[in-house]
Amino acid sequence: MVSASAVRVRGLWKRFGQQVAVGGIDLELPAGKFIGLVGPNGAGKTTTLSMVTGLLRPDQGSVEVVGHDVWRDPVEVKARIGVLPEGLRLFERLSGRELLGYTGRLRGLPGEEVDKRATQLLDVLDLAGAQHKLVVDYSTGMRKKIGLAAALLHNPEVLFLDEPFEGVDPVSAQTIRGVLERYTASGATVVFSSHVMELVESLCDWVAVMAAGRIRATGTLAEVRGEAASLQEAFLELVGAGVRDAGSDLDWLGGGSR
Amino acid sequence: MSAPTTPAAPVPSGSSGPPVPSGASITPVFVRLKLSLLRNGLRQSGGRRAAYLASLVVVLLFAALQLIGLIALRGYAHVDSLVVLLAAVLALGWAVMPLFFPGGDETLDPTRLVMLPLRPGPLVRALLTSSLVGIGPLFTLCMFAGSVVAVAHGGAAYAVGVVGAVLALLVCVTLARAIAAANVRLLTSRKGRDLAVLSGLVVAVGAQLVNFGAQRLGSSGLGELDPVADVVRWVPPASAVGAMDAASDGSYGVALAQLALTAAALGLLLRVWARHLTRLMTTPDGSTLQNDTEAVRERGPAGAARWLPAGRTGTTMERTLRYVWRDPKTKAAWVTSLAIGLIVPVFNAWQGTGSVYFACFAAGMLGIQMYNQFGQDTSAFWMVAMTISSTRDAYVELRARALALLLITLPYATLVTVLTTAMLDDWRKLPEALGLSFALLGAMLATGAWTSARFPYSIPQEGYKNVAPGQVGLAWVSIFGGMIGAALLCAPVIALTIWLNVSAGAADLGWVLLPVGAVYGAALTLLGLRLAAPRTADRLPEILTAVSKG
Repeated sequence: MVSASAVRVRGLWKRFGQQVAVGGIDLELPAGKFIGLVGPNGAGKTTTLSMVTGLLRPDQGSVEVVGHDVWRDPVEVKARIGVLPEGLRLFERLSGRELLGYTGRLRGLPGEEVDKRATQLLDVLDLAGAQHKLVVDYSTGMRKKIGLAAALLHNPEVLFLDEPFEGVDPVSAQTIRGVLERYTASGATVVFSSHVMELVESLCDWVAVMAAGRIRATGTLAEVRGEAASLQEAFLELVGAGVRDAGSDLDWLGGGSR
Repeated sequence: MSAPTTPAAPVPSGSSGPPVPSGASITPVFVRLKLSLLRNGLRQSGGRRAAYLASLVVVLLFAALQLIGLIALRGYAHVDSLVVLLAAVLALGWAVMPLFFPGGDETLDPTRLVMLPLRPGPLVRALLTSSLVGIGPLFTLCMFAGSVVAVAHGGAAYAVGVVGAVLALLVCVTLARAIAAANVRLLTSRKGRDLAVLSGLVVAVGAQLVNFGAQRLGSSGLGELDPVADVVRWVPPASAVGAMDAASDGSYGVALAQLALTAAALGLLLRVWARHLTRLMTTPDGSTLQNDTEAVRERGPAGAARWLPAGRTGTTMERTLRYVWRDPKTKAAWVTSLAIGLIVPVFNAWQGTGSVYFACFAAGMLGIQMYNQFGQDTSAFWMVAMTISSTRDAYVELRARALALLLITLPYATLVTVLTTAMLDDWRKLPEALGLSFALLGAMLATGAWTSARFPYSIPQEGYKNVAPGQVGLAWVSIFGGMIGAALLCAPVIALTIWLNVSAGAADLGWVLLPVGAVYGAALTLLGLRLAAPRTADRLPEILTAVSKG
């Protein structure tokens, strides 16, 4: 059932006015892996993920998820993917539990099944105590967790997460991490974007590096890291932001004369 | 605005050192702080300055006009009732202002001063004095001055008038402050911001009521006010105005009692305020105490939702209906529609100027709620978009939203029509009016569904704007184009109504319009949904982009 690649992107372009957000990327993401899409702010990660998940129409190019074209075959694709976008709201005037009930039923799951899964997800994600509070009153970490629960509810084959750890406290981050690790261990694919290299290095087994709307490197963590000591260093080299010698510019800073 | 040359935001107690500042030394500091805040607020942007200056000019103009008006009314019968009630209305305004416009005055939030070593007594004095600086107090003072001129006759009355005006002003300001202090938690919370969104609605509906009230007064004279005023003149701060009137009539005992009542109210309010201030300054604020203010909302899966159909239809209906109640923007829009849809036909009927056909106003106002359906979702529309993969999904989604609306609008439009008919006692026309209402409602739902798909726009969640900047044209096309379209779609039913009314032999056939209108409206709705569904399914990313600008 699971094809060799979870996501296949061909010649994907997106311009906003004069600015090229995504400049013709080709990408093949293997199935069953924990995949990190890394890049500095403004690299085009969110735009790419939005186009891959069908939330943004590309100017050009094709996207296939688990062998189905996102734009020609939305029925097959939407049932198989889960999404946690960045910068888009949830239905925040619902309580956490109501939000899950709503999402699951819209996805066509039977009511009792939705309620059962919601209870378990709320439990595992440590949200049981806040399940009857409105999402609008949730903290950032709680929002990410309830968003993740909503994305997982229909047991998707591929999960797309845009900056799932941004602004999340360490405890919630650990909870999210645990759930995601368990999910990929069962053979599912997680694609998540981040600009925190340590996180990607510790979580992912496959990495795609993006900068200025293009893919700079792809492969297993070891392949992308290459000779460098850490992913951080390899990344800085790839995007052309090597460590500048700042010594002479700020020589007055710290110690010595005031 | 007078602007003394002082450094901005001075630190309390100019002298450095540990001693706790006394009242005398911090009062001028607070006044200067208030002036600095006003001035710095103006400095922020040209638009804000223009808005402030414009409102200042309007308020001053209004204050001058009512001052002149009150002076002109001097000596007229019933003017005493008028000024007493004006004072009461003004006090009511002061009481609700901080709840609806919490952002207006930063000094309203005393928790900002919590780090400073201040005692409640001096703090209350300083805050009260600084509260007297601003447009609001100036306007209030103008009005009380006008009241004195309008009702006072003789030296004693003027003396009582001056004391009364000052007391009344202090009561108004203290009332506003005490209520603000008692509700600071609310004002700085999400619920407070929700409440602020609803304030526009109170103003809109209040204006309608005042309009009709003024019309009634215009037709039957100020004498109608007397019985109410006789009670209100004993309620502070209107009692201060009552005292001026009593002193003019020579009833000095009554005047003194009313003044004393006002003073007692002021004392009481000051005490309440000081107590709340002390509690606020000595307990941790909401940001350190998490989860204590928000009550847990228990909503079982049972309840009325059980009666909704299963699947996407029931799920979407439930969510839509929950949002009508819980989302402040949606709620404000609904209550406005419900209120104006009722007020216009019913009040016109009450005044005897109405017609049964005015009842269609309710259907028209409520039908507007179908417009910009996805804009009402805000960028959370992505959650819907992720589950729509076919035209069928889009059709069921739109149909569910229309059904949720019908659950409220159908009985309501019927009720308003029946009520209007009853008031006009024109029962023969009831089927016609109902038929027209249903046809119009159907047409509004149809055009609403179609424009939701074709011309979606963002509704900003904060503030009073209902359209995101840059999308005003889109909103106009959507709403007005849609309404004109709806009117045109109703033309056949309107034509039939006119024909039945003018042709001699068809006068008894008016009842035909009820089934015709209902079926026609239903058919229009279905057609509109059918046409809107493929557009929605094809344009999901475009709709999401359009509604995500808020």
